[in-house]
Amino acid sequence: MAFNPELARLLEHPAIWRGTSVARTDVLSSGFLALDERLPGRGWPRNGLIEILASRFGVGELSLLLPALAALTNAPMARTSAWVAPPFEPFAPALTAHGVVLEHVLVVRVPAALRGGALWAFEQSLASGACDLVMTWAKRPQPKEIRRLQLAAERGRALGVLFRPMQALREPSHAALRVAIEPLTHGVRVNLLKSKGGVRGSVELDLAAAAHDLTPVRS
Amino acid sequence: MASRPLRHSDAQVIRLPTPLRSVDARREPVEAAELWVGVHAGAVNAAAALEKLATRAQKYTPRVSLVPPDGLVLEVQGSLHLFNGVDGLLRSFAEDCRTAGLESALALAPTPLAALVAARVGAPFVVTNKAQLTGRLTSMSLAPLRWPEDVIERLARMGVRTIGQTLRLPRAGFARRFGPAHLAELDRLTGRNADLRHRFQPRERFRRRRELTYEMENNATILAALAPLLTDLGRFLQTRQVGITELECRLRHRHAPPSVCVLRLAAPLADVPRLTELLGERLNALVLPEPVRSLELRSGLPVLRELNSNPLWQPGEYGGRAAGSESSQLIERLRARLGHEAVYGLQVLQGHRPERAWSMCEPSIADAAASARGGHGGGAGARGTASANTRGPRSSRAATPWDAFRRPLWLLPAPQQLDELDGVPRRLGSLRFFGEVERIETGWWDGGEIGRDYYTVFDIYGVQLWIFRERATPHRWFLHGVFG
Repeated sequence: MAFNPELARLLEHPAIWRGTSVARTDVLSSGFLALDERLPGRGWPRNGLIEILASRFGVGELSLLLPALAALTNAPMARTSAWVAPPFEPFAPALTAHGVVLEHVLVVRVPAALRGGALWAFEQSLASGACDLVMTWAKRPQPKEIRRLQLAAERGRALGVLFRPMQALREPSHAALRVAIEPLTHGVRVNLLKSKGGVRGSVELDLAAAAHDLTPVRS
Repeated sequence: MASRPLRHSDAQVIRLPTPLRSVDARREPVEAAELWVGVHAGAVNAAAALEKLATRAQKYTPRVSLVPPDGLVLEVQGSLHLFNGVDGLLRSFAEDCRTAGLESALALAPTPLAALVAARVGAPFVVTNKAQLTGRLTSMSLAPLRWPEDVIERLARMGVRTIGQTLRLPRAGFARRFGPAHLAELDRLTGRNADLRHRFQPRERFRRRRELTYEMENNATILAALAPLLTDLGRFLQTRQVGITELECRLRHRHAPPSVCVLRLAAPLADVPRLTELLGERLNALVLPEPVRSLELRSGLPVLRELNSNPLWQPGEYGGRAAGSESSQLIERLRARLGHEAVYGLQVLQGHRPERAWSMCEPSIADAAASARGGHGGGAGARGTASANTRGPRSSRAATPWDAFRRPLWLLPAPQQLDELDGVPRRLGSLRFFGEVERIETGWWDGGEIGRDYYTVFDIYGVQLWIFRERATPHRWFLHGVFG
């Protein structure tokens, strides 16, 4: 295609979105090269909502996010990274060992009696502008709520991460990015279910080896 | 002097440089370094009014002192030019006295005691020059000094009835007969010695109550009824340039004990709309046993507020720092709804027992100082650059006491006992052992002794778990963490 400067200038307009090109989105490297190659803009979005679907709790969904968490808390202008209603206690020594700066970590517990409290806290944290990253382990958010959360994340320029069970696969979602994760004998397989402008498909990662060396096993 | 034999003590004498020109006060009038306004309240029960006046007098100077039971002095030298000089200031202050409901006499003198004594005499007395002070005091009687009766009487028998006559007495003899305290008082009166006084501290906490004309049940109406109190609070905080970190709201009922809701804030706050919003959150969570008859607001200790301007860049943008206020606002909003303990930060403690290797702490509010420290600890490496340099992160990992991957990301609140089959632990099926065993045996000195062998296992679903076996006899197995 002949290069047309006028067209190129027109396409620079931020309101124009072209299929696979999302160069304008601000991204954050996931820490896994093989995954970055598949993700739109080569990384997790800096603001927006993503969903990580895990076959079971603890198969490696947090490890998948850990390099990004460590990078965010180490950044010179780091904001808070909030954990809303985590199922267990985040183990501080392990986080430190993975390079997470605890100063920027905030844990929010939600009393069981408070219905919808976790999503409320999640939305507040996303929209506050005080957080780089907000994670939650919500039970069953409604599609309409997910839309709200997506808007809140954009308003607060935060990355919202919704950890959900695999059953959520059938439900529609407004999240910008949706990945499913399942364990392999070594490492995990990440299925990119929905990624605006990214490549769909799956990628296999060795979390333990790659999390810090940032070299994928195979892709 | 030089011919005098040198004595040992000469070495210790510190010689001050002699002034180039000695100031002769009589020839060359010098403005006094301090000017005090003395107030004498004539009314009997003036204590409350004087305190009110002292609060009001803070607008002239922070150096206001109460002289119980009926006096007040304030140092105004620094602010004379702001109130059109001596006349303007005295006129303005007399007006303040009248509004405070005090029939009071004012006097101005270079020492607080002189100003007070002159105010007690009641005659117009304005002395701005220290050199003229003693001269103006001489004719005054001793009564306004409020010395004990017998001292006055003994002085009177000696024929000494005025301050001037007293000042003319030999100092040594006066101190011997009437005590050094009275001599010291005379010195303070004439400014020979400094007169140190306690500053008046205005009431520090806000406390206001409002009786309702009718009983209220609805949280929204109660909040609306609180509005004037909150406005008062805002004014209180505004004039003092302070914020509060604690606000208590008491709702009184006819029979039941008052309902109390306490608002705790992460950072000093003086913003009424925000306080109203937070208080509204709290009130919504409150279950009222009966309708409310009266409202009361009490503030905690005021805290100096850091006033900072808005940055040019948005936080998160290049050069834009995370505004601490956003972070503290978020924490307050979450705490208002979820409870104070629900929001916390994490910290690492020294020790090998997993349960005691971490603790909750007060969340740190992202500020410039905290952000500036960002990048220390050298964790997973800066994003983007790390792919080029794979060695860097490794070296930082070596700095941690143990390999990062030997600790789970999730710790169960309490170890959870596992089922066993022939001495082998099971959880939703058989477990696959992986890696080496780690023995943690410590804590014998504080009663929290543990002796455990930790293993890393995979369950049949591929979830990596952290389990341990007790070293003590039952040798039970427990699940303690999930690697996540």
